[in-house]
Amino acid sequence: MAGTEAKKTESKKPAAKQSGGKKKEVKKETGLGLTHRKAENFGEWYSEVVVNAEMIEYYDISGCYILRPWSMAIWEIMQEFFDPEIKKMKIKNCYFPLFVSPGVLQKEKDHVEGFAPEVAWVTKSGESELEIPIAIRPTSETVMYPYYSKWIRGHRDLPLKLNQWCNVVRWEFSNPTPFIRSREFLWQEGHTAFASKEEADAEVLEILELYRRIYEEYLAVPVIKGKKSELEKFAGGLYTTSVEAFIPNTGRGIQGATSHCLGQNFAKMFEINFENEKGERAMVWQNSWAYSTRTIGVMVMVHGDDKGLVLPPKVASVQVIVIPVPYKDADTQGIFDACSATVNTLNEAGIRAESDSRDNYSPGWKYSNWEMKGVPLRIEIGPKDLANKQVRAVRRDNGAKIDIASADLVVEIKKLLDTIQQNLFDVAKQKRDECIQIIHTWDEFVQALNQRKMIFAPWCDEEEVEADVKARTKGEMGAAKTLCSPFDQPELPEGTKCFASGKPATKWTYWGRSY
Amino acid sequence: MAGTEAKKTESKKPAAKQSGAKKKEVKKETGLGLTHRKAENFGEWYSEVVVNAEMIEYYDISGCYILRPWSMAIWEIMQEFFDPEIKKMKIKNCYFPLFVSPGVLQKEKDHVEGFAPEVAWVTKSGESELEIPIAIRPTSETVMYPYYSKWIRGHRDLPLKLNQWCNVVRWEFSNPTPFIRSREFLWQEGHTAFATKDEADAEVLEILELYRRIYEEYLAVPVIKGKKSELEKFAGGLYTTSVEAFIPNTGRGIQGATSHCLGQNFAKMFEINFENEKGEKAMVWQNSWAYSTRTIGVMVMVHGDDKGLVLPPKVASVQVIVIPVPYKDADTQGIFDACSATVNTLNEAGIRAESDSRDNYSPGWKYSNWEMKGVPLRIEIGPKDLANKQVRAVRRDNGAKIDIASADLVVEIKKLLDTIQQNLFDVAKQKRDECIQIIHTWDEFVQALNQRKMILAPWCDEEEVEADVKARTKGEMGAAKTLCSPFDQPELPEGTKCFASGKPATKWTYWGRSY
Repeated sequence: MAGTEAKKTESKKPAAKQSGGKKKEVKKETGLGLTHRKAENFGEWYSEVVVNAEMIEYYDISGCYILRPWSMAIWEIMQEFFDPEIKKMKIKNCYFPLFVSPGVLQKEKDHVEGFAPEVAWVTKSGESELEIPIAIRPTSETVMYPYYSKWIRGHRDLPLKLNQWCNVVRWEFSNPTPFIRSREFLWQEGHTAFASKEEADAEVLEILELYRRIYEEYLAVPVIKGKKSELEKFAGGLYTTSVEAFIPNTGRGIQGATSHCLGQNFAKMFEINFENEKGERAMVWQNSWAYSTRTIGVMVMVHGDDKGLVLPPKVASVQVIVIPVPYKDADTQGIFDACSATVNTLNEAGIRAESDSRDNYSPGWKYSNWEMKGVPLRIEIGPKDLANKQVRAVRRDNGAKIDIASADLVVEIKKLLDTIQQNLFDVAKQKRDECIQIIHTWDEFVQALNQRKMIFAPWCDEEEVEADVKARTKGEMGAAKTLCSPFDQPELPEGTKCFASGKPATKWTYWGRSY
Repeated sequence: MAGTEAKKTESKKPAAKQSGAKKKEVKKETGLGLTHRKAENFGEWYSEVVVNAEMIEYYDISGCYILRPWSMAIWEIMQEFFDPEIKKMKIKNCYFPLFVSPGVLQKEKDHVEGFAPEVAWVTKSGESELEIPIAIRPTSETVMYPYYSKWIRGHRDLPLKLNQWCNVVRWEFSNPTPFIRSREFLWQEGHTAFATKDEADAEVLEILELYRRIYEEYLAVPVIKGKKSELEKFAGGLYTTSVEAFIPNTGRGIQGATSHCLGQNFAKMFEINFENEKGEKAMVWQNSWAYSTRTIGVMVMVHGDDKGLVLPPKVASVQVIVIPVPYKDADTQGIFDACSATVNTLNEAGIRAESDSRDNYSPGWKYSNWEMKGVPLRIEIGPKDLANKQVRAVRRDNGAKIDIASADLVVEIKKLLDTIQQNLFDVAKQKRDECIQIIHTWDEFVQALNQRKMILAPWCDEEEVEADVKARTKGEMGAAKTLCSPFDQPELPEGTKCFASGKPATKWTYWGRSY
């Protein structure tokens, strides 16, 4: 994962109450509710949502967060998709140590330069100083590649394809943001070595497609697959591909996951050579690729609303919450029994359903509580529903209420969950696409940037020009930079000029501020 | 996991060749083979097996090991059993940070005292000193419990049951041994809080039973469930239960996994209080429980032999290896096709099968290679097998050869795998039981200890007596101590005296040296 320039973003803990009448009413009634509105104060809203939805807890070490079960379940669901997929590709899981010795860490200068300020060093154990300080991995290239060198001798040892699910540490940076930028995070990192560049190139794209699927099919977040610029690529690598998401409320792009072709640079540094089929000595071609808990933060940012979190059904640990609505003189036990039966029926059909029978909270409180936590579908069962042999379903994404006959429960709930999943994606895609602005001149670029657009521009693909754009847009909000050059390239008419340099443009590239 | 006294054990890297003619012959023929025999030099044998079987690679930081795919797959298979089981118990996964601030770490004196010399401290990030050094978790009680205090307010917040799968670090100790004692290892740690002691007591045993199942049903290693002595229990806890395994070749017990009832001590320290149903303030009752990659080391020690690793089928990532045995003028393509077809048939039936078609190695080399790696069942297909529409299966555990008609392949292979799994357990249990020695006097105890027995002795259950036994047996081989007091207590006749103190015995307890 490439280091990125620090961006200013609001990340304070929930502050004092600030806003309007309606919100006060909600808070007064239930004790729940958010102080900040997404559209008005995105950063504060985000910090508030992730806590109130019980996704994270702030930890007593700044920049470190506790991933509570509500988040961990999402991470596990994504892992349950991704891990079997890479195993089909004959990629095997392993575990390399958390620690790197300094000699190895500094072996590749370009690579380490990007991480050096962020490396955490262990210098003591108990009361004793270590003879040599040891680093905690910010990523595992330098941890692994000395052993790739040892294990790879001949072409039959190739391809060597390993992955690990682990924690990494990147210290000392500004603006910690839960899930998006933290001092410790969870990720998977794949490291593969091939005999030929063709094999490496092919795998880069296969893995990138899996990352697109995680975002689009599981998190319901639209992404753009593309290549990073030379300036933005993984330091020490040959080229970097990524899936880029976009946050309309802030007008910032966010790198969702990366799949890097490292080329032969690390092979050269770590002497990862093999005897090929002709008996000649050759260097391997390598890839590395990763996605992290940042995925969860992107999902929250894209789908959350002023009531709280909004979870896509596919990654919700609770897809359906069933709430009894007792009424005076009504058959309370019958209502509770109907709730239990409903949960059982849904669970047996593979739907993740729970009931909320807590007797110390009102139904209204419960509605707000589960809305805050983002449960995709709420089922209400009251005396009228009981009498009519039906349940009332309420969608979290749009508030729609649907009465469903008990006899059709499973079929209808499954349809609804699929509909919600698709709707979340469609709405997110529409919002993102509305933010895409095609520009051709510098003036248009500046205007679009100030309007929080995702800027699509013809570019000459020169590193110094990107550096110049960054310098010219440097400011309080952070500089603009390339997000990616999409693989799906629209036609570039002959004679099109680069928006920034006036030179002949060679490609279309997305630009903007970034997390 | 309680800290244990360091034990002397051989853990050097594979040394120069040392032994007899037959071994030389094997090595000469294939380049494979072990230099050390299990029965003659257990420590060297163990160090050699885990490397040659490609389970681990020694890392350039002492006491840290790379878990290669062959090991990682075992860890994952156990996780695939255990994780759903605890989820059925409504235990949820989470992730707490790797780091602990010093104030929190030192909050519980008894607890931290046991770990203090082993804590790794981060004092620098990049080139800057941290304002306050930060510890890397040796376990997570002190990381988690401040938040249990925050989250638990009333009885409806209980039980709070969390688990995490993570890495932990314990630095500075002697005699690192792959899987058994390493500076970093993988584990799961469960931390639960209840309103009543009865609930906590019940869970301790439920979890312990899951650990027994991991050992006996998956790893085919017999264990004894019991309670640790006051001296050996988890520091700061109320009582500790464990599953104890035994290594006949060294006569040492090994603590397989632990399930601790912490009582209310941590609740007191961290102020984990709740308002009970009567409105009174009360403290929670807590448990913590863990198993780690040590499980894998125990399995290797128990089942491995002079040919290498021996894997129980249930945890083997490759359960069946299919090897073509071509012969001059024979239908080579037909043989290879039969191998592929066999693998496909088995895989479709849920058996983890692979073929080894490498053309640069002889069948004999391949046999030794997969024996070293411990694959439970080898299938050989040569021209005769092809003609007879059969395959030859060879068991790794006992070398038995069985011809199987191709038509009956799946049924017979499944039976064989089940038989191997059971046989490994039965053989291990017999070997362990042969080592169990019931004694009644100190002289008998010393004799049994020197004979590498697992000693079952009547004991008065006094802490100072155990300390005395340790002092009296202190020596080069390490002191004897209690392993556990088994839940299955044999009858203790009236008037039985403690073997060590001569006082009235109150229970039977296993004693011995320990890893």
